[in-house]
This record gives sequence, structure tokens and C-alpha cells, in this order.
Amino acid sequence: MKGIYKIFSRKKLRLYIMCGLSFFVVALPISCSKSEENNKITILWKDKRAVGISLSGKFAATLAPDSLIKLLEVRLLTSEKPVSILGEYSVENSRIIFTPLIPFTRGLHYEVSLRGQRLNLFDIPPADSADAPALLGIFPSQDSLPENLLKVYLHFSHPMREGQSGQYVVLVKNNIDTIKGAFLNLQPELWNENRTILTLWLDPGRIKRDLQPNKLLGAPLQRNAGYQLLVLAPWQDKLGGTLPKTYSKSFVTIGRDSLSPNPEYWKIVTPKTGSTQPLNIDLGESLDYSLLNETLTIRTVDDITIPGKWIIGIDEKTCQFIPGKRWLSGHYKLHIETRLEDLAGNNLNRPFDRDVTRKETKVHSEDFVEVLFQIKD
Amino acid sequence: MKKMYFLLAVISAGFLLLANTTSFMRGKYGFVVGTPEIKSINSLAFGPDGVLFVGDSKSAMVFAIDTKDAAVTSQAPAVEIKNIDQKIAALLGTEAQNITIQDIAVNPLSKAVYCAVQHSDGTPVLFKIEGEKITAVSTKNIPFSSLALNNAPAENAKDKRGNSVRVSAISDIGFADGKVLVSGLSGQEFNSTFRSIPFPFTNKQDEATLEIYHAAHGKYETLSPIRTFTTAEINGKKYLVASYTCTPLVLFPLDELKPGTHVKGRTVAEMGSGNSPIDMVTMKKGNESFLMMANSSRPVFKVKYKSIETYQGSLTTPVEESFATAGVDFVSLPVTNVIQMDKLDDMRMILLQRRSNGSLDLWTSSERYL
Repeated sequence: MKGIYKIFSRKKLRLYIMCGLSFFVVALPISCSKSEENNKITILWKDKRAVGISLSGKFAATLAPDSLIKLLEVRLLTSEKPVSILGEYSVENSRIIFTPLIPFTRGLHYEVSLRGQRLNLFDIPPADSADAPALLGIFPSQDSLPENLLKVYLHFSHPMREGQSGQYVVLVKNNIDTIKGAFLNLQPELWNENRTILTLWLDPGRIKRDLQPNKLLGAPLQRNAGYQLLVLAPWQDKLGGTLPKTYSKSFVTIGRDSLSPNPEYWKIVTPKTGSTQPLNIDLGESLDYSLLNETLTIRTVDDITIPGKWIIGIDEKTCQFIPGKRWLSGHYKLHIETRLEDLAGNNLNRPFDRDVTRKETKVHSEDFVEVLFQIKD
Repeated sequence: MKKMYFLLAVISAGFLLLANTTSFMRGKYGFVVGTPEIKSINSLAFGPDGVLFVGDSKSAMVFAIDTKDAAVTSQAPAVEIKNIDQKIAALLGTEAQNITIQDIAVNPLSKAVYCAVQHSDGTPVLFKIEGEKITAVSTKNIPFSSLALNNAPAENAKDKRGNSVRVSAISDIGFADGKVLVSGLSGQEFNSTFRSIPFPFTNKQDEATLEIYHAAHGKYETLSPIRTFTTAEINGKKYLVASYTCTPLVLFPLDELKPGTHVKGRTVAEMGSGNSPIDMVTMKKGNESFLMMANSSRPVFKVKYKSIETYQGSLTTPVEESFATAGVDFVSLPVTNVIQMDKLDDMRMILLQRRSNGSLDLWTSSERYL
């Protein structure tokens, strides 16, 4: 038996080393009675999540590893009938480790029982208010927006809990009327990979001309009106921290934008040869923040991409390219992918909703367009 | 000479062993045994032989996993679990408010219900439901294969804090005609990323990416992302029946979904304003087949495929304002707030419904709904 135990223990140890799991171990002593004092529970933390518990005490040495799942139970303290939490038991250095399928929840209370008798209790402390998330930005950042605005980006400091925007994002007209159904209720929501950027679409069915939602409810935004976009507390981040306050962005609506952005009208201010000064581009109108970050590159005439960094300017009306090395004199290309959109979803190839009965709104199908410029001595 | 024979025998045995190892390593459908790195489960669909397709928006991947649950159950038992969110939450050691049921899919062979759950911290968990029994499905050391969706972000597409600004999600997945169908939404471009991917997955990028347009009443044309879809046979021809984010119901012949094509769906209905379709399934009773559609703010709709067949128009005239909807006729069933829906057999569906008393129940519809 001892042999089996040793093999099991070594195997588990190896597994942990192999997985490269480094736990931050924080002891949380809880004492309720003398017997409970002897049965110590330590919460295992990883990335501020309570990913498991470690049990130590006299009983731990007496249990066979393969009987743990039958004898031990970790349960949520609740008024309902208690249920064993799903997870895995293992033995490591005479301690029993329980790893639940999902981390223990902040602010909840749990118990561990052996053969139906309570061994001890443990609490998972609520999230530290110092770790609270913040809303870093709302894009578009301009305060006058087209009435057919298509999308809004929210940038958070921490990865946020998904599926909550319907509850915590509100659009108010003239400080009085809450606009119901302004944003498309999408499940799943549109997040970036680490859940810090959320895209909200103003209901496209209401923006597209002649569709039923557009005819019955009208567009979500009306021209020449004042709006407030509110992002409400206490939206939770994925670790249980909450937005500490309500954030708001006020804007007024101007006319409809039905025209594709045209790079022919952009103004490029070129830097000096030999410098690392930025290349400045005046876009003439606000364009989509995220797509500006993705669709622009500077290339040589031989199509070699110049390494560097893009910085999007105020109100997304300008952008700067800071080269990774000094500019050499010569001819260059500003390469723009045609999927770049303005605030109303018009891209370089076609407007958002094209009137097919009008011949002048032709659709282009190029993947990119290029604007030539020269760096002079 | 004897030594030579012995050596040859050893070498042959070695090769045989190696061949066996190789077939073990890469089994049926090109699966390998391992632990797939599933970061989120947004969408589920079953393929052949108990293969479950998992749409993972977070890692922009589709996983095919062998559930080893391929025994045929001819008489599918009805499932009825009240307060299923509370029951699953208790098994996970948390409260119902901290979990979300992302999707359900019925295994067409075993008739077991698979359920994707997400914890508030983003951890995905897969459950299997048989009768009243809810068990977790382990994704450790299982046969699987995966495919990365081809939307790698540009290298410089990062914000000031170094976060990728690329925003996307898998809106639905399905399996038809040996192909995995994946509809995706981009958080940046108002565009459709609909893919038809041959299964078993290969390294070749022979998937079809379509440009899908929507024409509103013959006047305005836009690119249109697909939100949910099903497949059906109408007049002997296979179709993709899809619903856009802007609610119209559209048909595409499956054989026209070819790589790089510009496809315009035939709009057969607008399903009402302020509403979004959530799930669609195709049901059958006798010789008649039906499209069942769950909605965000409407009851479940039932559309006869016969009506779609006979409706040859394409909503070319503007909708009269007094009508709630336009296009083919449909029936509203007395079932509201259905969050997820899948087909149990030809005549019964599994529904996840938020009841008027607030309870989230999983239950089986009877034939009388058809």
C-alpha cells in the first residue's frame, strides 16, 4: 500500500512539475473547534483565482488515494441540499489537494467533510478593491457622431466578465429617455482575445434603410440630438472585481455619413531623411479606431514593409507612423486595406448600405489601395 | 544464416510495432490523443460517430472531439430538469448567477444532451445530460483534432497597452454534407465570415469563405453577418437556412457556397423588429418538414418548408408597416424566452427556457408543437 501511495505521490508531483503550475499559496486558518484546528485547509491561488485547496491533518495520512473521491466531499455552504463539488483529488507531500473544475467563487463559503462529517470550513475572500477594473476609453472618441453610427468600442483595464453588456451599457437621449434595443443583443458578445475590448453594434436592422426594424422603430440615433452612453457599475471583471463608478460619454449627432472614406484626400506630412520623426497623416474625418490599428502599413516601392509603430491621433482623425529605424530617402507607399471603415460602416470599397438603383454607387473589389509619397533629402 | 533470419524477424516486428503506434497516434478522422486547449465553448454541433464540434471564439479555433458516445438509442427518453442552472452551479461550487449556459447539442446517436457552460471567470466546462443525470465531460487525454480559423491579426494590431484589438466571435457551427459550417462575426468590419470546412480537417486551406450580401427589398444592399443557421432539403435541393444579425431569414443553395464567391441569399422572411433569432432547427412530421426558430424577444416560430418552397419571391417590395413580419407565413408557438434549442429526434426538441417564474428549465417538446 505504501508503495502504491509513493508511486501515486511521485506521479502527481511529476505531473505538477510537468504542467509548470506555480501556485501562490496563501494560508487561511479558520478555527471552529479543536478537531477543525487539526485539519488545516490552505487555499491554492493562481493568477488571483482560488484554483484549489490543500488539506493537511492526521486524517490525510490515513486515507488511501483511490478512496479520497468516495470519502471526502467539498461543498458550497448553502441553504439548499448540499452537493459535492466536481473536481479532482490528489496527494502531494502528505497533503490532499482538491482541484475543482472551476475556481472557487470570491465571497462564498465552503465546507470539507469526511465520511459525511464536517472536517472544516473555508471562505474565499471577496476581490480586493485595489484590483478593481476601470474603463479606459470609449471609441469613437469624438463628441459629434453621425446619426448612422454603427459601432462603439469599450476598452477596459482588466479582462471583463462576458454576457453582461445588455445589463450595464445604456444609451440615454437628452438626459431623459433610455433608448431600448439600441445595441444588438449578441450572444456571444464580441470581445478581443483577452476580454479587454468589447464591440457593441448599434442594431444594424434599425440602421439599414428599408428593413422592417428601421421602418417600425427608426434608427437608434436621430440627427441633432444629445446622447449619453453610460457604462454602469458594478459590472464585474472575470475575477469578481467591479467597476467602481459609472462612466459616461456625451455626444451629439450630426448628419448621415453615406460616403466611403477616400485616401486620395488624405494629407501626408513627410519627415526628414535620416530622422526617426513620425510620418503624419491627416485623414480628414474620424475613422474606425480598431481598423486604423490593423489596416495601415508603410512599404517600400518593392513591397517591403517598414517596421514601426502606429499611433492613432485625437478623435481618430489623424494617425502617425513612427519608424523602427531612420528614414532613408526614396519613394514609399502607404498601403491601406480596403476593409478600413469610417464610423458608419462605410469601407473603402463600398458604402454600408448601397442603393443598387443608383449607378454612381459602384462597388470596388480591390483588397487594398496605395498612396505614394517621397522622403526627400 | 539463422542469425540473419532472427535479425530480419526483429526488424519486421519493429516495423509492425511502429505502424501500430502510428495508427494509434493518428486515429480515425485524423484524431490524436491529448488535451485540447479549449479556451471557450460558444457553440456545439455533432458530426458523425459521436464527434462533437466545439466552436471556441476566444482562441478562434474549431475542435473536433471524440465523445466515444456513439451507441444508438432508438427511443430517446424525454429530458426534464427544472432550475438546471442552479443544479449545474451547485456541482461547480458556485451560484447560478456566476455561470452561463452557452449552447446545447443533442448527440444524434445516443440522444444525450451536451451542454456548454461558462463560469464568470471565463472557464468553460462541458456537461453531458442523460435523464436527470448531469456529468462533466473530461477533455483530458481524449482523441481530438482542431482547426485554426484563418483570421490571424495583423502584427501591429495592438492598442497602447499591447492588447490585441482583433475582436471576433463564432456565432454558430453546424455539420452538413461532410463539412463543418462556421459562421463568424467580426467586431470590426460589418462583414460575414462564413466558412465551409471539409471534415476530417486537413492542413490545406480549402475552406470556403463567402462574401454574403443582403438586399433589402431590392433597393439597398449590404454585407451581412450570419447569426444562426440550419440546413434543410427543399424541393430535393440542399440549402443553408440562415438568419442575419438584421433579422431577415435567407436561403442559400449549399452547392453554391464555393470559396471566394460573392453570394446573395434569397430573403424569404423578415422575422419582426427588435428581435434576434437565437437558434434554428429543422423538424419533420410525416412528409412535412418545419423550420423551428427561437428568438430573443418573440415566441418560437414554426415555418413550414412547404411555404418556403412555394414562396418564390425574394421580398422585392417594401413591407407594409401594419404587418408585424413579411415573407413566408409562420406560426408563433406558445413558448417564449427560449434561450437554446436542439433537435432530440424528428418530432421532438430539447429546449432551454427561462420560465415566467424565473426558473431556467431544460425540457422536451412534444409532437403537438409540429
